[in-house]
Amino acid sequence: MTKNLSRALLYGVLIFLVFVYLLPLWSAITTSMKSTEQVALTTPVTPAFPPTLEAYKIAFSELKRPILNSLAFTVFATIFSSVLGSLAGFTLAKLLKGSTSKKLLMIITFGVFLPYQAILIPLVRIISNLGLYNTIPGLILTHTAYGIPITTLLFANYYYEIPDELIEAAKVDGANPFSIYLRVVLPISMPAFVVTAIYQFVNIWNDYLFGVVLTRGEEAMPATVKLANLKGSFVANWNVQMAGALIVALPTLLIMIALGKYLIRGYTAGAVKE
Amino acid sequence: MAGVRLVNVWKLFGDFEAVKDLNLEIKDGEFMVLLGPSGCGKTTTLRMIAGLEEPTKGQIYIGDTLVADPEKGVFVPPKDRDIAMVFQSYALYPHMTVYDNIAFPLKLRKLPKDEIDKRVKEVAEMLGLTELLNRKPRELSGGQRQRVALGRAIVRKPKVFLMDEPLSNLDAKLRVKMRAELKKLQKQLGVTTIYVTHDQVEAMTMGDRIAVINQGELQQVGTPEEVYDKPANTFVAGFIGSPPMNFMDATVTEDGFADLGEFRLKFLPDQFEVLQEKNLVGKDIIFGIRPEDIYDALFAQVKVPGENMARAMVEIIENLGGEKVVHLRVGNLTFAGKFPAESKVQEGQEIDIVFDMKKAHVFDKTTQKAIF
Repeated sequence: MTKNLSRALLYGVLIFLVFVYLLPLWSAITTSMKSTEQVALTTPVTPAFPPTLEAYKIAFSELKRPILNSLAFTVFATIFSSVLGSLAGFTLAKLLKGSTSKKLLMIITFGVFLPYQAILIPLVRIISNLGLYNTIPGLILTHTAYGIPITTLLFANYYYEIPDELIEAAKVDGANPFSIYLRVVLPISMPAFVVTAIYQFVNIWNDYLFGVVLTRGEEAMPATVKLANLKGSFVANWNVQMAGALIVALPTLLIMIALGKYLIRGYTAGAVKE
Repeated sequence: MAGVRLVNVWKLFGDFEAVKDLNLEIKDGEFMVLLGPSGCGKTTTLRMIAGLEEPTKGQIYIGDTLVADPEKGVFVPPKDRDIAMVFQSYALYPHMTVYDNIAFPLKLRKLPKDEIDKRVKEVAEMLGLTELLNRKPRELSGGQRQRVALGRAIVRKPKVFLMDEPLSNLDAKLRVKMRAELKKLQKQLGVTTIYVTHDQVEAMTMGDRIAVINQGELQQVGTPEEVYDKPANTFVAGFIGSPPMNFMDATVTEDGFADLGEFRLKFLPDQFEVLQEKNLVGKDIIFGIRPEDIYDALFAQVKVPGENMARAMVEIIENLGGEKVVHLRVGNLTFAGKFPAESKVQEGQEIDIVFDMKKAHVFDKTTQKAIF
């Protein structure tokens, strides 16, 4: 009896927490489907009635170019940082001696925890001097460089799990380091690529700080930066802002749905030896 | 094809001496087994021949080619040594089919496609893999994977095969079968083979010669008969043979006996002559005799009471079916004998035993080296 009671209590608490967690999302969804008048007259959690897609139209026309910008640099920076991370991870895990590799990995780990803010000023200067300020290539370069430590770490950890004998067998069979990577290591790296790509895509897509300091006009501005600018100068268009936020969140959601099953496999790959 | 020669080879890992001053010559076409307990340096030696490790000192030759000499700065990478290796874990490429696994070394050498196809199919035929060519390694049993690893080595027609405990992951029955197949295959191909194992039965049954290694040092090189019948020291004597040779402390007496404390055994005249020559009369020695050279008196041919006999207590009997390993005790001395299955001895019984003194061994007490 007491067991059932504590169970009921537990579920009560859990349902309450779920409610608290989902309330802002609900508020965003319902607000995005209200007209400007409805927003003014109702509370943020009142259901939209009648629902309208008017706010989405406005938000989308405003965000079209920035979303394309974001897609462009996110896709390229994700690909570049993953490929470079894979090459670097392979070198660390399989080509260098154990002690050297551990030391280098330590240094690279610092790069992962380097705060964005610390490097902003030199970053802007370097990118300007390269003539890449306010350009998509500038953002690709920045995100690729900033992503390499974490992608290297992810790949190195995956490659440590690959038995050394496999690499040695390829060496004896006549392969040079590059053909070992291309013919033996790369084909079995899919799980690591999926994990890294999802991680990088979500991080780069959601980045705001690099975007805001490295762009000025619409031609290279990321969606996240444009989103923050959606609030009007005199009145806050809550419905348009919420619609915009939901639109911008969509690509990361789609990536997770499309690749999520590989993500789980990637996390566990190598955990159990055959 | 070619022989392999190691000259004064050392390998250090930090302060640890994995291989100490190794000199070894493997003849063209020979099946050489490197035998020793785990951590003795045998695998390190093999890896140095493969080019997966660089020696710290010394020279390694494959055929007439110097492939490693740190003093001259010579180091030929594995891919240019024309060797093939079979690993303990097989190390098959998991994403490739059996066909692609076997073809891989040929593809890297950019052989024409039809030549590759011909050779892969030839090897598959030889190893009974034809039906499995389209399978992935994970769909194969241990024995099949082992054969694919072998196929990948054979297809290259290398100068030397290097094998690192290739049978140790197989079950006992399959291991016996593969032992014979591998030996047959090696004779058929005639390729110089260096085979690392810790299993003395594998070494005895497969090797043309055996190199026994312990703690990085070569103990003895010889045919299976030589290392078995004339072990160079107590390590080799104790490592080869199952159950191992019995060792007992003894003193050589003036009248030509080994005094074991509890009883005495008379040396043969030529044995005593050797002991006299080496000035060992009156000195302490280690007396060694293999279990199969101790007989139940009922089955012994030559019985001389007071010279080659003792009365012993049977402590434990291990019945192996075909024979019995009998653990015996005389006072404080314990040793094992190997009796035929027909022997009727019982645990707790006192029996007469006979030592075949022709097969007795004597080792130096301090150096552990064999006198005979």
